[in-house]
Amino acid sequence: MSTVEISLPSKKYKRKVTVFSAALIIVSIACVYMGFNPIGIFTEFHFVRDLLGEMFMPNYKVLWNNSSIGFSIVQTLSMAFLGTLYGGIIAIILAFLAALNTMPLKIVRVITRFTLSLVRVVPILVVILIFVIAVGPGTFAGLLTLVITTIGTFGKLFAEIIENTENPPAEAIFSVGASRLQVIRYSIIPQILPSFIANLLYAFDINMRAAIGLGIFGGGGIGFELYMATHVLHYKDVTALISLIIVLVILVEKLSDYLRRKILGEGNLK
Amino acid sequence: MIMTLKKYSLKRYRKYILPLILLLVVTEGAAIACGATFGKLETGLLNGLSFLGYMFPPDWSAFAEMVQPAFQSIVIAFLGTVFGTLLSVVFALLAAANISNPWVRNVTRFLIGLERSIPEIIILLLLIAAFGLGAMPGIIALALGCIGMLGKLLADTIEELDPVMMESMQSVGANKMQIIVFGVLPQIMPNLISYTLFRFEINIRLSVILGAVGAGGVGYELDYSFGMLQYHRAFTALLVIIIMIFGTERLSYMLRGRIKMEGALK
Repeated sequence: MSTVEISLPSKKYKRKVTVFSAALIIVSIACVYMGFNPIGIFTEFHFVRDLLGEMFMPNYKVLWNNSSIGFSIVQTLSMAFLGTLYGGIIAIILAFLAALNTMPLKIVRVITRFTLSLVRVVPILVVILIFVIAVGPGTFAGLLTLVITTIGTFGKLFAEIIENTENPPAEAIFSVGASRLQVIRYSIIPQILPSFIANLLYAFDINMRAAIGLGIFGGGGIGFELYMATHVLHYKDVTALISLIIVLVILVEKLSDYLRRKILGEGNLK
Repeated sequence: MIMTLKKYSLKRYRKYILPLILLLVVTEGAAIACGATFGKLETGLLNGLSFLGYMFPPDWSAFAEMVQPAFQSIVIAFLGTVFGTLLSVVFALLAAANISNPWVRNVTRFLIGLERSIPEIIILLLLIAAFGLGAMPGIIALALGCIGMLGKLLADTIEELDPVMMESMQSVGANKMQIIVFGVLPQIMPNLISYTLFRFEINIRLSVILGAVGAGGVGYELDYSFGMLQYHRAFTALLVIIIMIFGTERLSYMLRGRIKMEGALK
């Protein structure tokens, strides 16, 4: 008995040490392979200090003087809004086509599911590069990219939400003679609407951030202005733009939180 | 009976009219700001499809050249996740109300929130301005990007821990460090691992994007091929990226399933 009591903790300890040292070796090999020196952050910190010295104090005048910045904020917000709206609508339609309890034909389900997972794995970078070539650089390319990525992120999720709805209400109204569309309207939609709205507001939040990143690859908007400012080395303008972006992102987050609580909290969707 | 039913069903949708009009107005305004029209969409989609046809046969000879950059991207994502996790554990401990004092907690929570609202790509642009091009700013950007998400999730997990455990450790004389090492960390370990794996998936996708801005790896190959108009090569890079993302997603899904099972067994 006593040997078991003694050997168990030491065995556990040995295993812990083995796992830990193996992880350490793998990480250090990876560091050497990439030529990355974690301590270098501290020894080369003066680069960061120099940059921060360049960046402060932020030049907020650029926000007033450069008239294109105000419009670029509107563009970024519109990109995120339209991307969420159209992407959400297409994702919902595809989700109904892919869900087991709304689409009786197997072949349609399989094709839709395959399309959704294909869209999911294509990286956002490829989509924006293709759209920049197809429609030219600008907000429209960024908007189309956001539509595609919204479909990829939320299509499968929506299909799963539809499949997870309660079946008895649907069966009940089906048994008293409701058509398939009536089942969807009166049984499935009331059940899925709250989570769809919550997810779409969340999607708007994500798309807002993505829209800023897309500007760098030719998507237009505030991200493009920021990229231009770093390119011409106007770091004081960069700081002003970054603080503007932070305020914008936080405001959008608060707005989407508020709307979610207002729409879902009252429970007036039924 | 039927008449009242009809009246009711008309009234029923009345309250949606105003929000619907508002939505239409906002959509129209946004469309004008973006310069989005259906004519543009039609020509754009046709152009895009013909362009995809133009890309189509991938350049198989470039496949071997893509393997090493893809591996580099994975390593960048891996190192970013590892260092980011270490950083975010520290931040999470500082941001948990039951471990640190209120002032430190509020300041750390504010920093975490601030980091979460800056997109990773902006951090990378600034780091490239500081350190120059290369893998190092990419790794640091990914590591810093972890703080916003992992730091918040882990801090919430720590705050939800059972206070009885910490009190009992304190009562037998454990100091703060011992409580953290023997009390807090083992309990958050399953959550920590599954969040980290999830973040690794995100970081793989991000490393492709960051690569195009200048962190190297397969994202750079893709951007370069597009810039050089070598579309067949770009298609090969696209295939490699898709394989990479799909592979890591399956791997992390599998590992997370196993972690959950182990946690349940305990």
